[in-house]
Amino acid sequence: MSLRVLNPNAEVLNKSAALHMNINAAKGLQDVLKTNLGPKGTIKMLVGGAGDIKLTKDGNTLLKEMQIQNPTAIMIARTAVAQDDISGDGTTSTVLFIGELMKQSERYIDEGMHPRVLVDGFEIAKRATLQFIEKFKTPVVMGNEPDKEILKMVARTTLRTKLYEALADQLTDIVVNSVLCIRKPEESIDLFMVEIMHMRHKFDVDTRLVEGLVLDHGSRHPDMKRWAENCYILTSNVSLEYEKSEVNSGFFYSNAEQREAMVLAERRQVDERVRKIIELKNKVCSGNDNNFVVINQKGIDPPSLDLLARAGIIALRRAKRRNMERLVLACGGEAVNSVDDLTPDCLGWAGLVYEHVLGEEKYTFIENVKNPHSCTILIKGPNDHTIAQIKDAVRDGLRAVKNTIEDEAVILGAGAFEVAARQHLVNEVKKTVQGRAQLGVEAFADALLVVPKTLAENSGLDTQDVIIALTGEHDRGNVVGLNHHTGEPIDPQMEGIFDNYSVKRQIINSGPVIASQLLLVDEVIRAGRNMRKPT
Amino acid sequence: MRELVTLQVGSFANFVGSHFWNFQDELNGLAEDPYADPVFKNQSLNMDVLYRSGETHQGTLTYTPRLVSVDLQGSLGSMSSRGTLYDEGSSASSNILTWGGNVSTHAAEPHKKNLFLQSLYGEEQENSLTFENGVTGGENPRTEIHDRDKVESLENGVQYWTDFSKVEYHPQSLYELSGLWVDPQKFDNYGIGRESLSGGLQGEEISERLRFFVEECDHIQGFQFIVDDSGGFSPLAVDVLESIADEYTNAPVLLYAVRGPGSSVDPRSQKQRVSRKLHDAVSFSRLSSLCKLIVPVGLPSLSRSKASTFLWINDEKPYHCSAAYAATLHSLSLPFRMEPLGPTADSSYASGAVTVNEVVEILSGQTRQNMVAILDAAMPAPSLIGNQVEQTLLRHLQPLTPEIAKDIEDLQSVESISVHGALGPARGQRASVSEVKDMVHAAYEHATTRPMFCHLSVAQCPLPIPLPFPSIFGNRVGQHGELLSTPIIDSPSRGSLDVHSIPMAARLRSSSAVLPFLENRLGSLRSFGIARGAPGAELVRSWGFAKDELEDMGEVLSKMITTLDPRSQMSSDSD
Ligand SMILES: Nc1ncnc2c1ncn2[C@@H]1O[C@H](COP(=O)(O)OP(=O)(O)OP(=O)(O)O)[C@@H](O)[C@H]1O
Ligand SMILES: [Mg+2]
Repeated sequence: MSLRVLNPNAEVLNKSAALHMNINAAKGLQDVLKTNLGPKGTIKMLVGGAGDIKLTKDGNTLLKEMQIQNPTAIMIARTAVAQDDISGDGTTSTVLFIGELMKQSERYIDEGMHPRVLVDGFEIAKRATLQFIEKFKTPVVMGNEPDKEILKMVARTTLRTKLYEALADQLTDIVVNSVLCIRKPEESIDLFMVEIMHMRHKFDVDTRLVEGLVLDHGSRHPDMKRWAENCYILTSNVSLEYEKSEVNSGFFYSNAEQREAMVLAERRQVDERVRKIIELKNKVCSGNDNNFVVINQKGIDPPSLDLLARAGIIALRRAKRRNMERLVLACGGEAVNSVDDLTPDCLGWAGLVYEHVLGEEKYTFIENVKNPHSCTILIKGPNDHTIAQIKDAVRDGLRAVKNTIEDEAVILGAGAFEVAARQHLVNEVKKTVQGRAQLGVEAFADALLVVPKTLAENSGLDTQDVIIALTGEHDRGNVVGLNHHTGEPIDPQMEGIFDNYSVKRQIINSGPVIASQLLLVDEVIRAGRNMRKPT
Repeated sequence: MRELVTLQVGSFANFVGSHFWNFQDELNGLAEDPYADPVFKNQSLNMDVLYRSGETHQGTLTYTPRLVSVDLQGSLGSMSSRGTLYDEGSSASSNILTWGGNVSTHAAEPHKKNLFLQSLYGEEQENSLTFENGVTGGENPRTEIHDRDKVESLENGVQYWTDFSKVEYHPQSLYELSGLWVDPQKFDNYGIGRESLSGGLQGEEISERLRFFVEECDHIQGFQFIVDDSGGFSPLAVDVLESIADEYTNAPVLLYAVRGPGSSVDPRSQKQRVSRKLHDAVSFSRLSSLCKLIVPVGLPSLSRSKASTFLWINDEKPYHCSAAYAATLHSLSLPFRMEPLGPTADSSYASGAVTVNEVVEILSGQTRQNMVAILDAAMPAPSLIGNQVEQTLLRHLQPLTPEIAKDIEDLQSVESISVHGALGPARGQRASVSEVKDMVHAAYEHATTRPMFCHLSVAQCPLPIPLPFPSIFGNRVGQHGELLSTPIIDSPSRGSLDVHSIPMAARLRSSSAVLPFLENRLGSLRSFGIARGAPGAELVRSWGFAKDELEDMGEVLSKMITTLDPRSQMSSDSD
């Protein structure tokens, strides 16, 4: 969009020039992203050529909005985006770490050191850091009832890097509760079972958790109820649409009567299916004033809608495929692919189903369900870019909670891990390494400090002072992070600043891999494969 | 009424689509314009087939295309992807409500609207009393000068398909692919597309947009899908087609695989030539396996083809070429929105209604199951005047599908023709529907080779030429698209200010004339991809195709060939 990185017209260069180009590209990308980092970072408003606005404080989203053409930058960006795909967070840190690894290496390379030596050092340092993180991590016992407080702290840490505090705190409860809602013991958490729905509405604080489901469509018949209590829910994937012409040759009938007859026969089949649904409705709803709602993945045409409406049934068509699964998890019952053996056991239940209309947009709320294993986060915001930004933050929050439950561990944040790992490398690991690979370990260690340094810089603090204070306090035997208000060392544990274990691990893993590749270039990767001159 | 949902994927597809929707928009405007030619009043065409009615939050009613368009980020020029209809008011949008800390703004250089767009949006603000439909008469010299400037600014300055669009799109319609990090110039083969899209959520997001339009349909008749299959968009289109096949199993897809002229220029290096040939083969194989009928559209040089006998096309300009293809697609889409009146009754305005599925059945569901159709067009269609009218029409219908055989005799060929707005036999008047039908039937009576079956659709309503239509008519085309016996000398080409409407004829043809097209692709696949030591074997592997997948593709292609020509049995021992 509005940010471009470096000159895309790479050509074949000699080794050293190629290396420096890689270093510069990495530093360039780092510069673009570094103001993003942490609770004091800068939010970016991107305005496109046609006035479209995008709002982001997320490394992942920002990268995707950039039109990156430099191949080195693309490699780094891909790594960062993969970081997000895998662990859901830490894209900014990844880009900064890779940039800093390159920057630290540059010093040594300019002094004549061979990149190979640095890369060897990186490898040693990486392994040592991965071991260190096992000791450093804070285990979290999950058991049957996860420790909600710790989940909240992790979620809050991440959300506060994306949204102002009050909003972040409100969403903290929402994301924690929604993950706990969909969590099933002994199964990995499928975050798709949390539907994220949005509505354009004046105030963003109206965002809420719906225990149940919100669908982005309504019934398509004027006589169907817009508000119904005590509802049986039939989740189905059955065509209630007359499809003759799609199945049969509709054109070459020898005569009009034959055509007419075909049409009638096909229509009867569809009507038959509708009739079976109505039968079930009559069976379960006779003698009470319960309601009956059909949520169908396939189409329902007007004659079928008529029949259903006349039978007092509410029916929605073309539901999202994923909602079939979510509905069953939220309301119970099962999703049926045929109406042949419908039984009351197929049906789910919701205490309340109602429709909400905003202009041409319709929403159907399915609420007051008994024991939901699927839920919806309903985001409200005044415009699309605000909604999109909240959505991004909610996704990060959900991932943070999921990771914590699955990692059964967290990492102290605010730079505490990076400072501790750096000191460990410099004080313990380095001396065990033979020869010049030591310098690679040192470069790696110093590169880790990019996180606390950038946090400090974004808070308007002096990075030197901060690093001296933090390392000093660390060497006195305390685990400390950065107080982004004062620059003083703090205990992240006390402040409840926790990051995800898997996120940090992934950063430590992937950063040096990509940096090593970039350092060991023999020839710069040329821009794209085809070097056809743009005409 | 059976709804049709349109998809446009890729750059050239959107150029074509932009013209297509301009025609529709023009028709909508003319139908309401009290001063317009009455032929546009009662078109017997149901626009709701292509359009949806909606409402903004403020309660304003809207009428917008049932369309999902996909293109690279940055390809929308000065048009916002949300369109302007559902604008949320810009004043509120610049406040940042979610963050208390620092804000930095990164604004791209604003795209300046060209003269045409300036006047389009300016006019709307002033809320002119009558709907200005773009086809202005020559009476008012002041507006004429103004219009000349607009037309000229388009002739010289179209860069994006949005530059010449006069259509208001729904906010769900325009989807931009972000995060691909590709140079649009290099987004030119199947592999690049596949690689840059892998792992992304684009496919899912596009399917969601599609679902929005399909859910509204009471009874969808199918999808009209235009894909620019010259490069990286093919794998994306394949994804979308797969999800359509999954989700809307019974709704047929009519697929136009379109190409601008530049894309078929023979690259210089052997490596690029191999890549191009393999792309063509792979792209066609994958796309054709996921639709009901595929129509390859786009000549290497449209300007030098017989199809542009009466046109003045600049091959370098996608704006030009896409206009001709769009006009033809428009003609083919007319029968989908004619009201069926039963087998005997005929409206005096239109006849020959068919659904997408029926067209598919006509062309590919006969004795021969050939699902690759050739597109022919007569632009403009000749008048029904003179003594040899019958031959003229058939002679004027010239292919827009590349790599096909000329003058072949195929006794089993099947056709579907759409003729609209034809002039004559009384000079200066539009032919009646029955006159056109009689003429076409007579034409086939006299023809030396005749299709086994031909379906004919006729409408009285000609193709309206909207103001932003390029100046691509030759100087023998008159104001109503009649062919003048003497050319107008003052200029080689004529545009929307001179030509207000034209009669059109378009034809889909299932014929063995398409054999060279298929054989070329099978040949490339075998010699560049499958054969031992094939120069592109490594390349297609890097695109994610294993050898057995290629062999399967080859198998399918050679079946397509044998369907059309049982004698052929192309030697399959090339490896
Ligand atoms: N209250 C806080 N005080 C100090 N540091 C904090 C605080 N909250 C979070 N951090 C630190 O901020 C960093 C995370 O910042 P942020 O979320 O902006 O970037 P990221 O996770 O690397 O990338 P992204 O979220 O953009 O994918 C972590 O190092 C975290 O420890
Ligand atoms: Mg983060």
